[in-house]
Amino acid sequence: MEGRRKVLVIDDEPDLVEMIRMALERMFEVTTAFNGKEGVTKAREERPDVIVLDVMMPEKDGFTACRELKGDPSTASIPIIILTGVAEHFGRTKYHRMGGLEIEAEDFIPKPVDPNELLRRVTALLKKD
Amino acid sequence: MWEKIKFWGKWPFGTLRSKLVFSFLLIVLAGGLASTIIGTEMVGNTIIAEAQKKVRHDLVSAWMIYNEKLNRIQDILNLTAKRDLIIRGVMAGQADLLQQELERVRIDYGLDVLTVVDRKGIVIARTRPPYQAGDFQGNDELVRRALKKEVVTSTEIIPQEELAKEGPELVRQAYLEFVETPKAKSRPESKETSGMMLKAAVPILDINGNVLGGLYGGTLLNRNYEIVDKIKDVVYRGELYKGKETGTATIFQWDLRISTNVKNQSGLRAIGTRVSRDVYDQVLENGRSWVDRAFVVNDWYITAYEPIRNLRGEIIGILYVGTLEEPYNDLRRNVIYSFFGIAFLGLVVVLFLAYFITRSITRPIDNLMKATEGIAGGDFSHEVPVESGDEVGHLAASFNRMVRTLRSTMEELHVLNTKLQDLNRHYLEMVGFITHELNQPMGVLKGFLIMLHDGSLGPLTTSKQKQAVDTMLRNVNALINMIQKYLQLGRIESGRMEINKAWIPIFEEGLTPVLEDEKQQLEARRMEVILENEESFRRAEAEADPVLLRIVFSNLIGNAVKYGKEGGKIWIGFREDAEELLFYVKNEGGGIPPDKLNLVFDKFARLEGELERRRRGTGLGLFNAKQIVEKHGGRIWAESEEGKNANFLFTLPRGIKGS
Repeated sequence: MEGRRKVLVIDDEPDLVEMIRMALERMFEVTTAFNGKEGVTKAREERPDVIVLDVMMPEKDGFTACRELKGDPSTASIPIIILTGVAEHFGRTKYHRMGGLEIEAEDFIPKPVDPNELLRRVTALLKKD
Repeated sequence: MWEKIKFWGKWPFGTLRSKLVFSFLLIVLAGGLASTIIGTEMVGNTIIAEAQKKVRHDLVSAWMIYNEKLNRIQDILNLTAKRDLIIRGVMAGQADLLQQELERVRIDYGLDVLTVVDRKGIVIARTRPPYQAGDFQGNDELVRRALKKEVVTSTEIIPQEELAKEGPELVRQAYLEFVETPKAKSRPESKETSGMMLKAAVPILDINGNVLGGLYGGTLLNRNYEIVDKIKDVVYRGELYKGKETGTATIFQWDLRISTNVKNQSGLRAIGTRVSRDVYDQVLENGRSWVDRAFVVNDWYITAYEPIRNLRGEIIGILYVGTLEEPYNDLRRNVIYSFFGIAFLGLVVVLFLAYFITRSITRPIDNLMKATEGIAGGDFSHEVPVESGDEVGHLAASFNRMVRTLRSTMEELHVLNTKLQDLNRHYLEMVGFITHELNQPMGVLKGFLIMLHDGSLGPLTTSKQKQAVDTMLRNVNALINMIQKYLQLGRIESGRMEINKAWIPIFEEGLTPVLEDEKQQLEARRMEVILENEESFRRAEAEADPVLLRIVFSNLIGNAVKYGKEGGKIWIGFREDAEELLFYVKNEGGGIPPDKLNLVFDKFARLEGELERRRRGTGLGLFNAKQIVEKHGGRIWAESEEGKNANFLFTLPRGIKGS
């Protein structure tokens, strides 16, 4: 075992980040960031195995952060799971659109987040590697 | 009245005004036509009657001229017979003297015949070459009566042999060959040899009044135009109409024109022609007079015919006068033209009047109509002028009152509506704010509760703890559900509902994610989902917004879970036809009363009842679903067997892929 896989959770809501951390901690090493800007910096520094990203955030929203990460060769290969708002409640297959914007990501999970479901999805993404 | 309105409906006249004008026209046309026809008929008849009356008078005048001539002959003979020279001549039997003296008298007075006889009726002397004498004339009716001291005058037929005795020129003057005309009655003869004469006879008396002899004489009428031309001159004053003589007169010997001023085609006197068959029968056969229009030689005349009788009262000929019909016809035609002209003028005048009258009638109605159109288009500024005190004026006044009332009402409504819109917007903003703010913490709560519930954060030690977590989780789920509905509403109500349509597999995109979300709830209520017609359902594709479609399925299935019978079944199915795709979600349970089937889609609709009140709900799920389905061009409705099940169905138009 070469150490636990690392998950970066980016969300502006500390309680939610805490909840997700608790959910994922059982199997992964979890680092956190509280806005998009910080998240991108951390992703570049720490090279996580998976990123969990909220779209609605101050200081660089999820869309921009996601596009930056996917546009940077050093982070492009890291799979991203996007947490989507309730009203958006949007696609999980090919139709990744929010408010008319296309967004490229490996998976989408609607809010409110079911911690077990999130754990399952992260595990599934890592198994693909 | 109503018939008439229907009748108008078929006419191609759009406006009230053209109808009114047309009505005026119709009335004037009908009236004008009727009065013209009746008037011309009446005037025509009057003219004809007048003409006939006049021609009767003319005939009387003609007779006067005719008889005057007869009397003149009689007077000449009377005076001559009383002269001493003549009396002595007869007494002395001096034939030469008598012949010389009487010839002078005959020539002086324009007589054709003047003959003296002795008391036995033997001719003493004639006054025309070859001065034949010695023959017996006592058989002649006039001579016989003269020798009995009578003075007699009449028109008589003189046979050819008698004419020959009086003078051979008279035979030639009398001789006439018939000129055939189509209307004449056919006769075996083809010529006339005898003559017709105005004849008088008087006795010659001595001092004691004894008859010494007699004197007879006269004028042959054949080819003698004196009388007819005098009639023409006296009665008609020789007037011409379009080069034709207006008045004509004729003396007939039997049916033959022997003296006339009627002209034939060549412009010559039409002697030798004969009277028409009708006149022949009426006048010659029946001895009556004839007054009517008749075709004389080659023109129509208004004519009068009367028989000429001899001394014995036998009909021997006809006296005729006639007036050319043409002037009367022309007069009649002119009158008719005048009538029509007046009617036409009247029509024009009425058209003008109708134009102005109808304009004054319809203008206020036009104004009203325009104002009404304005109101129909939402413009309440128009009031119409009240121009009169009649019905239209009242209507205009009422209309203005209505406009003012409407205007103030509309203004009030507008103010109220603005207030309401503001309120609604504030409300939605507030709801949106609250629900959005609630959403996040609820998500956190739910996440922790799930982890507590499944022991991810370590086991719960007592059953009471477990029960508490269960209850919290159930309540948090319900709350999240409500929040979601309000967030959907917020999007729909504020008009922000964008539809991002794409060609999608309905089952995979719309249904599957919802079923996954509802898995826990279904398990909690021990409900079984049965997919009907699953194979087709999985193949079904349509143009729809996947996110919105999921809201529809989510709300329908959420309801089925919430209101369905615990441990019951939920059927989710699909059907299709040529035009649309149909989806349904059916659950076992109490169902919906028939009178509420349509109400469930209303905003904030909640079914009343003990059971329903205990279940939390926003009354927004079906409303949201309906808005979404209708935005996609589909329909949504509910069916229910009360007490057994409830079925919610919606359709999507089939659409064409790639279009």
